[in-house]
Amino acid sequence: MSSTTLSLKSVSRRFKDTIALDSLDLDVAQGELVSLLGPSGCGKTTALRIIAGLDKPDAGHVLVGGKDVSQLPPNKRNMGMVFQSYSLFPNLTAAENVAFGLAMRNEPKRLRVQRSQELLELVGLPKHAKRFPHQLSGGQQQRVALARALAFEPDVLLLDEPLSALDAQVRANLRDEIRALQIKTGTTTIFVTHDQEEAMAMSDRVAVMHQGKISQIAKPDELYHYPANEFVAGFVGQMNRIPARVEGQKLVIADSIANLHPLSPLQGGDGLALVRPESVNVETLRESKDVSNAVVVSRAFLGPMSKVVLSLQDGSEISSVMTSSKSNDFSSGDAVRVSVAPGSYLMVGA
Amino acid sequence: MKGLKSRQLPLTIGLILATIFVVLPLGSAAEFSLREPLKNTHGFDNYVWFFEAPDFAKYLGISFGLALASALILLVILVPTVVWLNLGGSKFRGLVEFISLLPLVIPVVALAIGAQTALPDFAQTNEVILAFMYAVLAVPYAYRTMDTGLRSIPLQTIVEAARGLGADWLAVLFKVIIPVIRSTVLSALFMTLALSLGEFTITSLLHWDTFTTWVTTMSQSNILGAIALSVFSLVSVFVLLLVISVFIKPTKSLIISEEN
Repeated sequence: MSSTTLSLKSVSRRFKDTIALDSLDLDVAQGELVSLLGPSGCGKTTALRIIAGLDKPDAGHVLVGGKDVSQLPPNKRNMGMVFQSYSLFPNLTAAENVAFGLAMRNEPKRLRVQRSQELLELVGLPKHAKRFPHQLSGGQQQRVALARALAFEPDVLLLDEPLSALDAQVRANLRDEIRALQIKTGTTTIFVTHDQEEAMAMSDRVAVMHQGKISQIAKPDELYHYPANEFVAGFVGQMNRIPARVEGQKLVIADSIANLHPLSPLQGGDGLALVRPESVNVETLRESKDVSNAVVVSRAFLGPMSKVVLSLQDGSEISSVMTSSKSNDFSSGDAVRVSVAPGSYLMVGA
Repeated sequence: MKGLKSRQLPLTIGLILATIFVVLPLGSAAEFSLREPLKNTHGFDNYVWFFEAPDFAKYLGISFGLALASALILLVILVPTVVWLNLGGSKFRGLVEFISLLPLVIPVVALAIGAQTALPDFAQTNEVILAFMYAVLAVPYAYRTMDTGLRSIPLQTIVEAARGLGADWLAVLFKVIIPVIRSTVLSALFMTLALSLGEFTITSLLHWDTFTTWVTTMSQSNILGAIALSVFSLVSVFVLLLVISVFIKPTKSLIISEEN
């Protein structure tokens, strides 16, 4: 497999007054899938286009396997790309689309036929070889696009929101298929998305981008449990902001004692602790000495899990996610006791 | 079912009316052109008359030549323009649309007289000038056909995909852009051909002779023959377009169909 490493070194790009990329650094290991996750305008697509050679950086370098490819045109970079809008050639059949990259490399016909058949089998469309794009569904078109991008064994695979145009069911299936295929072929991959669930489910590491920079890059679970800053904490998953204070080396949140995250923006005094809903424990008052510190506002059934919204004594609302069976213990108006699971939390200014 | 029928009814009536509107005059003209009043019968005398007329083939040839030349001129001007508009030059679309509408706004007489007075002598002494004039007249229709066709294709992404797959600009042009826009370009060409073959005003004003002006002259001496000529030119243009659309089918892609 020709897969290799990919690095961005201080890549900057500006569009008139907007800074799209601000001295971006990124290192992707061989065979790794890294997602660029972020809201619209964070620079993720610009980064991908610069890697592909479809856009030029104002400064910085793109290195593939240690070799600087910044000055190479896209057709010399040996990268496979899948776009959001399928972008299959409408005048070519599925098999011809898949073989296009090989034809451009002057590979013999026998190899083209063989590889396109192999790849179409790999993406589960062996019987669709002779169909034209307009005869395929959205999901099938995107599978063909994926096969086309992989057919010539690219050094790097670039996926630009490939699932955004598909409906939910196809999306979930194709997500798993892409990941399985990526692991199987061992292709170094950059996956651009604004969907955190997709990024979490598919990636070895997720880079959360904000204002042209990588806010944090980490494994999905690490990113979720230990967000490095307020932006990441707010962007990835749901987050409660619970009044808290730092006492000595410890954090006091809703009568619970927890650790203060070393990267916490606020290191002392009063503020808001960032706590995931599943880290918020809710208990009924069993004994008379138990003191209530919250009231149940509402309960929403989400299938196996339920979300319970609570009002704290200061009037602020927080939510807790628990198993649906446990949530049956609570109804609106109940006085309850809220605590926070042990862990280390970020603290931000109120 | 009832709803479907009630929706189909106006459509059917419309189609019948349209058919009557087109077929009735055409059929009547055809019937009229086949009359042979002296023998009080029907036959092909009128058709034989113009086929045997001394300049028939000459003027037909001139008209076809000019139509093809004007189609070619339009192709050379419009294809790069429209492709460019769809590949990042979209901020100039308004300007180009405005220019493309000018031939509709400027009276043909003004266009012809303008050309006659403004063009240098060498341009005025060659009938190829007519091909350029026809091309100008066809711009509003051809441009719109092409632009609408191309806008329905995500050309920019397709080109980027091809570049990413290893295609250089030549390959992008010949293996991606041209095959993708072929049917759109053909529609524009049909329109130009039809328009050029029937153009009379400019030709007559600039004192050139083509098939249309020849038909007009001939019709003054033989009304039945003139009708026969009209029917002939109408049918032949129709057949020509049919032949082109049947024969110029998408070529088989060389990606995996043929040995390299």
